[in-house]
Amino acid sequence: MAEPADAGRPSRLAESIWASLPSALSVGLSLLVCLAMIAVTKGSLAVAGEAYLEMLQGGLGNFALFNETGRWTQFTRPWGESATKAAILTFTGLSVAVAYRAGLFNIGAQGQMTVGAVSAAVLGAKVSLPWGLHPLLCLLGAAVAGGAYAVLPVVLKLRRGVHEVISTIMLNWIAVSLVENWLVVGPLRASAQAGQSISGTDQIAATAALPRLLEDGSRLHAGFPLALLAALAAWIWLFRTRLGFETRAMGQNAEAARAAGIPSARRLMQAMVLAGALAGVAGAILVLGTELRFPATLGAPYGFDGIAIALIGGTHPLGVAASALLFGILRAGGTHMQLLGVHKSFPELIQGLALLFVAGRLIWQWALTRRPRRAPGVPAAPAPPAAPATSGGGA
Amino acid sequence: MIHEVVSILEALLFSMLEYAPALIFASLGAVLSERSGVVNIGVEGMMRMGAFAAAVAALSVPTGVSALAGMAGGAGLAAIHAYLCVKWRSDQVVSGMALNLVALAGITFLLESLYSPTGTPSIQQLTRWHIPVLASIPLLRGISGHSAMTYLALAAPFAFHLFLWRTAAGLRLRSAGEKPAAVATMGISVSALRTLAVLGSGMLAGLGGAALSTSTLDRFEHHMPSGLGFMAVAAIVFGRWTPLGAFGAALFFAAGNALRIGLASSAPGVLEVIPQGFLLALPYVLTLLLLSTRQSQSGAPAALGTAYDPEAR
Repeated sequence: MAEPADAGRPSRLAESIWASLPSALSVGLSLLVCLAMIAVTKGSLAVAGEAYLEMLQGGLGNFALFNETGRWTQFTRPWGESATKAAILTFTGLSVAVAYRAGLFNIGAQGQMTVGAVSAAVLGAKVSLPWGLHPLLCLLGAAVAGGAYAVLPVVLKLRRGVHEVISTIMLNWIAVSLVENWLVVGPLRASAQAGQSISGTDQIAATAALPRLLEDGSRLHAGFPLALLAALAAWIWLFRTRLGFETRAMGQNAEAARAAGIPSARRLMQAMVLAGALAGVAGAILVLGTELRFPATLGAPYGFDGIAIALIGGTHPLGVAASALLFGILRAGGTHMQLLGVHKSFPELIQGLALLFVAGRLIWQWALTRRPRRAPGVPAAPAPPAAPATSGGGA
Repeated sequence: MIHEVVSILEALLFSMLEYAPALIFASLGAVLSERSGVVNIGVEGMMRMGAFAAAVAALSVPTGVSALAGMAGGAGLAAIHAYLCVKWRSDQVVSGMALNLVALAGITFLLESLYSPTGTPSIQQLTRWHIPVLASIPLLRGISGHSAMTYLALAAPFAFHLFLWRTAAGLRLRSAGEKPAAVATMGISVSALRTLAVLGSGMLAGLGGAALSTSTLDRFEHHMPSGLGFMAVAAIVFGRWTPLGAFGAALFFAAGNALRIGLASSAPGVLEVIPQGFLLALPYVLTLLLLSTRQSQSGAPAALGTAYDPEAR
């Protein structure tokens, strides 16, 4: 894109809208493609529309039922489900985003989350502490475990030139194998109670659970505000502090950053440990908020989802929170699509396709800036384009 | 005593060769793509696609033919990867991960819509070949009685090695991964080379998936390939991005898996001492150890992961 002179420079708001346009269009296109997929497999567009409506109602609440019954739980329960999912996705998304800004691709959020979750489960069950301190200790323990698990990839990268994608893939499987196929079925297996065997670890103490925010059966818990705070803190750190600036400089051009005197090894290590800690906290939120133990398996691959959430959110902490909220809602609603014979993991397909479309970022930029050549002198400023929806350059 | 040891080894050999083809094909696929300079961590998704496509095709055509459908399925996903990464210079890791997520959720959706949540109906498994002479020799008996997939997988790495190191096309392909600008100087299209390599990679990964659903088992199961694609990535790192190295690593990992399954079924007592988790983690621990102790370069192609922009020079 040609750099125009200062005259006619768009405002910051317009710039950030422009920057997030490819992501928004990707999500929109993905929603459309997935709608078409249901319509084709079920043979009717009406069913597909109904499935989407179920998904939205499952994630946001059913307004018609609320009008009928007048019960607020029509909203608070779905919101609780959406918010708990969004909280975990925010943390794993932030984990990937923070590392990405430093120029590291953290594929390892899944593994870091796993060790974080198991640490939280152990601290929650084996330690006794008063109510206020116990969750804090568990969160801290999970952050330390996740952060520690992220050290090795940086060491290997700096000392041996091993790409972090490879080392974090290995560490993911090591964590999952050791935790799910050894610790949770071996040394940490829940003691059988009253004849029934429970899968997973011992249940955490009541003092360790994240407090619920509502008293009406909604599972909305403190993890959600915590996630929003974390996103805000990450934004301040990355964009409002010198340390964050230096970290981003590493991601933009590591060579130039080094030449400018930025201690590159230290910044990489800090960013990756922070990323690991964030993923670890995601595991703790899952354990302390909803599962109340380390279950037999973590279930959804939230760590891998973090990659999608981070990149759809433009690796900007606030964008990450927004995309986590969106997919939290869709995924909480996904279980309701089951009624129409659509698998509950369907929102993950929407998310995966959206990531694929985001990966083709240059295609969007090409499609959005392609227009008849202007007369020279008129700056081709990035203004909102006309009718971008007709551009077929997505897939 | 000797007799027992021989029969145990024979069973292990047999089990290893049952399980290895999927891993070998997928590893070769990853080598092909990465040698041309394109990172392919979408192998997992391509295998899943191949396994599903082959199982679905085998419901209506002979199973031998259905393997082609598996290859086409893998190549279909690879085409998206090539389009995004070669034509549009997208981030290769992002594209690969996106394909994994799409294949995971998309096939789960299709499976539930078309068949059942757990898997496709059973199909006719690939014919097993009993090799007359081998079948009567103790120990080597384990090599007999597999499907064509196994024998193809045992031969393919050598053919692939010759292709990469003894033909002009192989040299060009490797050059595209080492120094793409030099290839372009010779008037050869880097984009075309890389696109072909990625497509071939998808075919091989798809064939690996097809081996799972038509040879190792007799249907597509919902969790396939359950991480084998990532193990293939470990295998190529372990094998220093060479076909024979990746082949060796794949056989080694397959042997480890055969040992684990064998222990679980015949000697569960051993697993109380050495938990399954240790054995499952072993391939990845070894790969990491290798990476952390190796003094020289890891053997990765120099231009691996960097998009080639013909206008950037």
